[in-house]
Amino acid sequence: MQTKRTIFHNRWLPYLLLAPQLAITVIFFLWPAAQAVRQSFLREDAFGLKTEFVGLGNYLRLFSDPSYLNAFQVTAVFAVSVAALSMGLALLLAVAVDRVLRANQSYTTLLVWPYAVAPAVAGVLWWFLFNPTIGILPYALEQLGYDWNHNLDGTDAMILVVIAASWKQISYNFLFFVAGLQAIPQSLREAAAIDGAGPVERFFTVVFPLLSPTTFFLLVINVTYTMFETFAVIDAATEGGPSQATNILVYKVYRDGFVSLNLGSSAAQSVILMFIVIALTFVQFRWIERRVQY
Amino acid sequence: MARIDLDSVRKIYPGGVEAVKGVDLPIEDGGFVVLVGPSGCGKSTLLRMIAGLETISDGEIRIGGRRVNDAEPADRDIAMVFQNYALYPHMSVRQNLSYGLRNRRMARDEIARRVEETARILEIDAFLDRRPKALSGGQRQRVAMGRAIVREPAAFLFDEPLSNLDAKLRVQMRGEIKQLQRRLGTTSVYVTHDQLEAMTLADTLVVLNGGRIEQAGRPLDLYRHPDTTFVASFLGSPAMNLLSARVSGGDLRVGSLPLAARLPVPDGPVTAGLRPEAFRLLPDSTSGAFRLDYVEELGSTRLLHGHLEGQRLVCQMGIEHPLADRMTLDLDPEALHVFDAERGRRLDTAWQRAQIRSLA
Ligand SMILES: Nc1ncnc2c1ncn2[C@@H]1O[C@H](COP(=O)(O)OP(=O)(O)OP(=O)(O)O)[C@@H](O)[C@H]1O
Ligand SMILES: [Mg+2]
Repeated sequence: MQTKRTIFHNRWLPYLLLAPQLAITVIFFLWPAAQAVRQSFLREDAFGLKTEFVGLGNYLRLFSDPSYLNAFQVTAVFAVSVAALSMGLALLLAVAVDRVLRANQSYTTLLVWPYAVAPAVAGVLWWFLFNPTIGILPYALEQLGYDWNHNLDGTDAMILVVIAASWKQISYNFLFFVAGLQAIPQSLREAAAIDGAGPVERFFTVVFPLLSPTTFFLLVINVTYTMFETFAVIDAATEGGPSQATNILVYKVYRDGFVSLNLGSSAAQSVILMFIVIALTFVQFRWIERRVQY
Repeated sequence: MARIDLDSVRKIYPGGVEAVKGVDLPIEDGGFVVLVGPSGCGKSTLLRMIAGLETISDGEIRIGGRRVNDAEPADRDIAMVFQNYALYPHMSVRQNLSYGLRNRRMARDEIARRVEETARILEIDAFLDRRPKALSGGQRQRVAMGRAIVREPAAFLFDEPLSNLDAKLRVQMRGEIKQLQRRLGTTSVYVTHDQLEAMTLADTLVVLNGGRIEQAGRPLDLYRHPDTTFVASFLGSPAMNLLSARVSGGDLRVGSLPLAARLPVPDGPVTAGLRPEAFRLLPDSTSGAFRLDYVEELGSTRLLHGHLEGQRLVCQMGIEHPLADRMTLDLDPEALHVFDAERGRRLDTAWQRAQIRSLA
């Protein structure tokens, strides 16, 4: 692609124009990141009076700490469940809507509505639905013989946060899936129909493979989202409990750092998280660039 | 192989558009039928109804004598070649060819045999393991053909399969499709809006207009004896000249110029049709009724554009004929087609048929 090139005659003007953006990056990202890296090599006592350099001590302690390894496992379960649930449901909805859209184009604008409404309503909605005292779902489950209590039961708590976190993602995933499905030419499905593939077979042998760039993109986005942006969901719903059953990595950084004031360990954890983000971003760019549409 | 019959087939799209308004068409076993007509006349709709990709609003379609109105596309034993080829982009050429066979649970060695055979016929063996993306337009076109052939279906359906190719390749593929169809003897229905493609490929040419069959028959019959001004102007390039004329007492005049006498046609306004290559112009600088405007050189022939009694007229002649600003028409009355001025229906059918018989 040809981009428009501007020639600056003043040597300093380009730097001046870049300065605000650079300043924001440095102040809000690079500097705190550097602080975290520095902090992660130090150990401070609880009163902040004494600081000593411990090298990789904080990291080594983390990896022999059962509660940290547990957080890793919880995060993995959480991320995979949220990605699977939110993407699965979104794909199901998208396939249904795609059929309607192919018959009638005028519905397209309506699709943006759930995206505008969903996040705002989601919090309140799930809080009401699952509230053990006034919620309808615990009541319904009780009728079915299941004693729902996410305050005591780790699995219930995990299910709750997975649903709450997925809910927000569904509309986002849904839009991408609809766009992806719409981009698949109708004639391919027709060719497959003539080639003797039933609707289900058609979906798995033609539609889904062609959707794989979208699916992969969403997978990375969703995993990133569950790992880093579900802090509020966890904090509001379970606070990482009961007994650490929903204590994901990001939440543990916060608990250890700001509640337990174990700053060295917290910093080491955030540095590890930072590397995970970098890795995910790298994967995203490398793979998506290479595996774009056919 | 099978015959295909359409009995008063109609298509009304949701929303009320009547795209096909009652079409009767018997297609012989092994026949090559070309549906041709202007954009929006319902060619694709008709083809897609045969394929089972559109529901049939009314009437009946039979393939090999079996009513298929409610059969799934897969159960109609047809193969279709799409305008955009519709190759599966995530599959290799080999997988594209074998997909339909695998879905039908054919034995593996039989699939391999058929794919090899098809690839050999179409000369695509060299890139069986490539993805469609890595092929040229012409090669993709071949693969699309291969995907139809490999199934050995009762009928091939083509929807403008050559319209994405450049002019030269189109002529070449046109020839190959014709040869292939002869060789395989598979009943084929072919949709195009290119009249030349239609003329050259068809055993039976069907001209559609506004969802109805305007005329059907052998290409040359349609060319020589168009039933309507629509068919007359649609087939042939350059198109037939259509002049407003008047008949009185059997004499046909364009303006004040008499063109033919003793026509068995009632008096009144008519449309006179003249193929550009069916008459000659002779230089006559004093009384010539044709005023030459400009000349287009085509190499072996040239097109003379001009006016006759204020109406545009095109003549195609060899380059050896002399030119002048004013010329007279040298016209064989048999080359004249006379149509009803209002409805465009042919008026002189009986007369012309009699002429032909007397010549034979
Ligand atoms: N899905 C549809 N819904 C409503 N109307 C349709 C639909 N598909 C086609 N039509 C209408 O039916 C008529 C015939 O369409 P069709 O596609 O058969 O034309 P065509 O002869 O193949 O034209 P072209 O040469 O442009 O491909 C057109 O007026 C078109 O607008
Ligand atoms: Mg069409």
